[in-house]
Amino acid sequence: MKKLLLLILLIPFISVRANTPPGEKMAITTGRLVSLNGMTKLNTDFAAIIIKGSVKDATGQPLVGVSIGIKGTTSGTQTDINGKFTISANLGDVLVFSYVGYVKKEVPIVNANNLDVELVNDGKTLNEVVVTALGVKRSEKSLTYATQQVSGTELTNVRTDNLVDALSGKVAGITISPSASGIGGSAKVILRGNRSLDGNNQPLYVIDGVPISNEGNGMGQPNDAYGGNPEGGDGISNLNPDDIESMTVLKGGPAAALYGSGAANGVILITTKKGKTGKMTINFSSSASIDNKAYEPQFQSRYGQTSAGATTSFGPAISSAPDNLKLFFQTGNNFTNSFSLSGGTDVAQTYFSYTNTSARGIEPTNTLGRNNFNLHETAKFLNGKLTVDGNMNYITQSLFNSPALGYYTNPLTGLYLFPRGQNISQYKNYEGPNGNNGVPTQNWPFQEDIQQNPWWILNRNPNETSRNRIMMNGSVKYDITNWLSIQARGSLDRLADKSDQKYYAGTLAPQAAPNGNGSWNGSNNTSQQKYADVIVNFNTPGKSVFKLDGLVGASITDHTSDNLSFGPYPQAPNLFGLFVPNLFTLQNIEVAPAGANNPYGSNVSGGTTSEYQTQAVFGSGNLSYKNWVYLSLTERIDWSSTLAFTSALHYSYPSAGLSFILNQMFTLPQEITYAKIRGSYASVGNSPGQYLTNPVNYPNANSVSFNSAAPYPTLKPEITKTQEYGTDLRFFNDKLSFSFTYYKTNTINQTIQVTPPAPSGYGTGYVNAANIQNKGIEVTLGYNLLQSRDLEWNSTVNFSRNINKVLDIYSKANIDSVQLTNSNSYRSYVRKGGSYGDIYGQTILKDAQGRLMLADNGSPLTSDFVKIANPEPKFQLAWNNSFRYKHFSLNLLVDGKFGGQVVSVMQSLLDEYGVSKAYGDARAAGGVKVNGVNPEGGAITTVDAETWYTSIGGRGAILGQYVYSATTVRLREAALGYTLPVQNSVFKSFKLSLTGRNLIYFYRKAPFDPELTSSTANGLGGVDIFNQPALRSYGLKLDVSL
Amino acid sequence: MKTKYKSTKYNSYCIAIICALILSGLTNCTKNFDKFNTDPTGIANKNLQIPTLFIPLEQEIMYSADDGYQVGQNLNADIYAGYACPPEFFGTSLNNMNYVLLDIWNPEAFNSIYTNLIGPIKNKLAATGVKASLPDFWAIALIVEAEAMDRVTDKFGPVPYSKVGTSLVSIPYDSQQSIYQQMFSQLDTATTTLNSYITAHPGQTPFANSDVVFGGDYTKWLKFANSLRFRLAMHLVKVDPATAQAQAEKAMAAPGGLMASASDNAAVAVAGQNDYWQITSSYTDNSMNASIGSYMVGYNDPRLPVYFLPVNTDPSQPGPLPAQYAGQYIGIRLGTDVHSKPLYSGFSVYNYNTTFPVTAKETIMTAAEVWFLKAEAALRGWAGAGDAQTDYQTGIQTSMDQYGVSGSAAAYMADGTSKPIAYVDPINAADNSPALSTITIKWDPLASNEVKLERIITQKWLAMFPEGQEAWTEFRRTGYPKLFPVVNNYSGGAISTQIQIRRLAYPLSEYATNGTAVQAGVVLLGGPDNGGTRLWWDINKGNF
Repeated sequence: MKKLLLLILLIPFISVRANTPPGEKMAITTGRLVSLNGMTKLNTDFAAIIIKGSVKDATGQPLVGVSIGIKGTTSGTQTDINGKFTISANLGDVLVFSYVGYVKKEVPIVNANNLDVELVNDGKTLNEVVVTALGVKRSEKSLTYATQQVSGTELTNVRTDNLVDALSGKVAGITISPSASGIGGSAKVILRGNRSLDGNNQPLYVIDGVPISNEGNGMGQPNDAYGGNPEGGDGISNLNPDDIESMTVLKGGPAAALYGSGAANGVILITTKKGKTGKMTINFSSSASIDNKAYEPQFQSRYGQTSAGATTSFGPAISSAPDNLKLFFQTGNNFTNSFSLSGGTDVAQTYFSYTNTSARGIEPTNTLGRNNFNLHETAKFLNGKLTVDGNMNYITQSLFNSPALGYYTNPLTGLYLFPRGQNISQYKNYEGPNGNNGVPTQNWPFQEDIQQNPWWILNRNPNETSRNRIMMNGSVKYDITNWLSIQARGSLDRLADKSDQKYYAGTLAPQAAPNGNGSWNGSNNTSQQKYADVIVNFNTPGKSVFKLDGLVGASITDHTSDNLSFGPYPQAPNLFGLFVPNLFTLQNIEVAPAGANNPYGSNVSGGTTSEYQTQAVFGSGNLSYKNWVYLSLTERIDWSSTLAFTSALHYSYPSAGLSFILNQMFTLPQEITYAKIRGSYASVGNSPGQYLTNPVNYPNANSVSFNSAAPYPTLKPEITKTQEYGTDLRFFNDKLSFSFTYYKTNTINQTIQVTPPAPSGYGTGYVNAANIQNKGIEVTLGYNLLQSRDLEWNSTVNFSRNINKVLDIYSKANIDSVQLTNSNSYRSYVRKGGSYGDIYGQTILKDAQGRLMLADNGSPLTSDFVKIANPEPKFQLAWNNSFRYKHFSLNLLVDGKFGGQVVSVMQSLLDEYGVSKAYGDARAAGGVKVNGVNPEGGAITTVDAETWYTSIGGRGAILGQYVYSATTVRLREAALGYTLPVQNSVFKSFKLSLTGRNLIYFYRKAPFDPELTSSTANGLGGVDIFNQPALRSYGLKLDVSL
Repeated sequence: MKTKYKSTKYNSYCIAIICALILSGLTNCTKNFDKFNTDPTGIANKNLQIPTLFIPLEQEIMYSADDGYQVGQNLNADIYAGYACPPEFFGTSLNNMNYVLLDIWNPEAFNSIYTNLIGPIKNKLAATGVKASLPDFWAIALIVEAEAMDRVTDKFGPVPYSKVGTSLVSIPYDSQQSIYQQMFSQLDTATTTLNSYITAHPGQTPFANSDVVFGGDYTKWLKFANSLRFRLAMHLVKVDPATAQAQAEKAMAAPGGLMASASDNAAVAVAGQNDYWQITSSYTDNSMNASIGSYMVGYNDPRLPVYFLPVNTDPSQPGPLPAQYAGQYIGIRLGTDVHSKPLYSGFSVYNYNTTFPVTAKETIMTAAEVWFLKAEAALRGWAGAGDAQTDYQTGIQTSMDQYGVSGSAAAYMADGTSKPIAYVDPINAADNSPALSTITIKWDPLASNEVKLERIITQKWLAMFPEGQEAWTEFRRTGYPKLFPVVNNYSGGAISTQIQIRRLAYPLSEYATNGTAVQAGVVLLGGPDNGGTRLWWDINKGNF
């Protein structure tokens, strides 16, 4: 492939060289022609000169599509995609540069020199230049689809643990569910609804035009109630928000189509900071925050332990109960110190930054440490025709004792279920006397699989993940002429991850190996994503009423990973122990479980490289007429290695869009500054999973296990078809802006596992089927309410609504559902007619009169598994306000998710153990009041509290009794800042802020924060299984510029 | 404007050329895609090593891949053959034991053989090119496949065979007649190939490391193939006597000969635990059937303590019987209401201590069976069968040799008076039954062919234990031995208590996924898809 890329690089040079002279001539010629046509004959008497120049913003970014007029005439031009322009004018003429969102500037022509103009943002509105797919900057009005941009400062106003969490509420149509594991955790980011059954539903992350890996580190996300996997954080959480200039969210297929595979779920484009010409700036930013749990489960303090040694709390009345949670939880904190240098000359600019993050969680021993180094270098050569850009990030991160979610290896089970009235402090000393293997036993009175001594878990079931990451990308861009440029880019994203989970001897079954000496599992994984592309950008020169610009290019993405896993997972969970107790070395792991006939063969997996690759060619063309109608067409063809062994290795993604700028077409009332309507269509594919097309057989101790999966020679990629229509309006000189988008996506050709007829010789097979539809609207409303020297008030509202519907699974073969999770009382199916994320559980049977059907003792009769909840909100509404009064600033973000239901498996266990407030209150009230009927038809009005809660609660709970509204309205972010007046000081700026996150729940009915997720994978949505509570943070932040 | 037009055109040519070059370059670059998309931790079909591949195939005859022996054979063929009866109703009081055929059990005997044995042979082994490159290995595969196929078709009737593996959507069913023809033809190929290999490479065992049946001994495979042909031939004696005779005579005259002594027996070393040990000792789900108890106790059969353990009267063990039964062998009558464990757990069980320990191989065909086949062939006057009495007695002797009780054979064969005994259920008198047969052991040259046949089949049945599949087939073909009918029959009239069950119903998964084909299969079956419909070779007429 290297050779090929070189070849591609050379081809355009060769062909263009032949092409350049006529091209250049033509540019000049047409320039003259235009000036002749466009100006009065009188002007020809003067010597018209050709003025060349560029227009940039204050940060040195070129501005595309700036209108340049000659004052007093009708002639003019626009800047090209590189911010450059050429215009024919006379000495003495005045050029007027105007651009929406920027202060108009008039520049008289005094000589024929190059004219470099800087426009100043008028601070009013939305940037007109939008970063689009592949990092191409385009004028906002030429876009035929919805995007939304968030600036770096908006991301760092109030720090979040995971960078992407800061987008919550700031973009319409994005749903972010942070992992409940707290610091260093992953986030589940869904744009415009879930769509893929088998694959990933998360967006593609792109830095400076180049895709990066979002791979997580650790044991992977849990997919059942037992959980127990330590979380290592996802790829995006590694990045440093301080290095980010802006983030652009490409929500739908039309915007993302040029990225091909992986972009079906939208793209989050990250533009990093670059050095700025002329100004040498040193920034120092320091923030400290403290975190506390935002809530805790409600316990009863009326009744004690059932009897000595019992795990439950159905015992005699007690007067009070110690606050065992207080003994356990601590105050978390986060210290982030960041330092950056920026500066440069016209030729070269440098940006360097270093950030250190040090945090601890609210569960003791949970710590996070991260270092980010970033060096970004930009330089121009050959009279500015050649631009070279290089960016290097080095990240180290280590996360210790990330709280496991679920029943297993979770300190919260033992802590919460601990019998009421008993003081847990005696177990803070978690080690008991030595066992017969000479090492300490666990000091804990119970023998249950789901609970152990919380401090034992923290100290004797520790998990650790670490990551070393290097991200490098570089680009070379050469402007062949002012209308044609070629660019080559390459990037490397290399992750070296380690993770492990230790179980010391004394850990109870089933986590511990049967030999009682402890066990250990973990993995070392190195993965590498390489990307390279070559793009030829063009725009038709001249001043025709038609304008054409676009690009053609080719890219390659190659992903390799090298993994070695050891220990019990995945071959034989918890079977392989250690020979010598508590010696955690590879050599000390049993080869076979003690005394068993070992069918597993090996306790080591992986050790080989897996690789997949996508190669693509793509092109896009944007045609505009008189700046009021824009037509965009894109086409991309991907060759994917996951389609090997199928008849077609490639597939294509077309997109088309059209937008009209109404204020350019018609004369609109003066109040309307800008009016655009747009519509687009795209079809975006998503490569199938690896290895589906060529199933191989696996060795086992006895010889070989045949793979009964059928090869899949007709496999096709999943396709998402998107239509979207919308409008963007601005009123009152851009003070009020409004954006509306309607979209509809259908995701078809999904890879679904089916069971073919046995005589096919296969036990499983795959088909391309299903049709999952998302329809919705997004509205963004922005208003600059006040704009004066001393007082500013900007307000933005983001609204979105998504309706997900499963139109079909595989009706051809009568398959109407796909199971995402099946775990005791909680099940998640995607079922035809339902919607993605539906939670199934049992309910209490009711008779015709609506009475609960109960057995004679009052325990309820249960139904089959039926749909009981869906956590997806009906709509989301966020209101962002920023105020400034003189030197004070205040940012407030209130956001609400309305509708949807969640379930709590945790609550069902608290009830079953009798520790919940619900049980205590019911027992004190003489029992649970019900409208029930016994099998003989007799009415039952009261059921004994213990009978009731032990029958509806527990691992096999009637989960229909534990459904809660997911509606939550919160004060998500608040930041109060004071900027010191620092004139004539060494400081350029000095700002101090008080910040808060997740400060107030204005409305929350669930016993936990419905936003948190037990898993960022597709299953386990909307359920709390002993999740760590959400955090409430207060912080202090200092920003200094020198 | 002209210039511009030209220029633009020139540009688009240029772009087109770039695109074309990029395209052609890239398509060449996909050559590694096959490598990338092959999981390097596994073994691609084309790289399967023959030794590793044969072991799971041979073991799958006993439903090894998903440890399915219990539902695949024990809870149908073994119980219907009068060998076994579980002391357990498995949480469902309506089940195979009282003729309510359970679709959660029986499909194992169908699905598993296709997905783990015939499918891999057709889809994976064939893909290694072994047919041409190593015809001797291919011959073994054909024999294993015929052995497994016979077990499927004799349970269900018409089933897919010739088109297995050709489609993921619809796989047509073959008539049973066609299946038998295919099996004979496969055995033709296999025996010819093996015979020439043995002649050309005497004493060579290239297969030694990968053969868990005969340790790579081709001469034994050849004998087994000839004997299997004989077994299949005899199945057809009622429906197609000409083919039956021709194939049987072919088997008896075949080069390489038939299985003749216990050392020729075909037995599989299964993966993991011996299935009989597992279901009897580990699961405690398998006991002696009242029928085999009636015969063996009545005959004072020296193999009785080898096959079974006496009842349990030890109060410290589950479900003990009263002390008066100590040392006795009492089985469970099929279809009785066993309630739940441990009510019937004290009854006699398979002898998992000595005969079926955890490591024992599992027998799929014995030499004794072949002698009894010859005895029947002699009765029918087929060429090469020899003398019926000699064959019969050699059969008994061979079985006694196999079970280490050779010394008792002579007395046993001379016993002309012992008869099966009545069944008495110590727990539930409703299960009691008089003996159904008066057949004795000693050969009577003057007896009618029918009596001789009953004697032969009864002794064959005793010798074939515990391989219930063939025993059930022979019971259906000949009506022998006479087995106690089910105590309770909840089939709703679909299955006659007296005629007894004739087949298993097709898996419901076939109706769901292979609907058109299974409907056509039912047409080929010629009756409703239930346990009462007779198979093609199961003609309702006299044996002679």
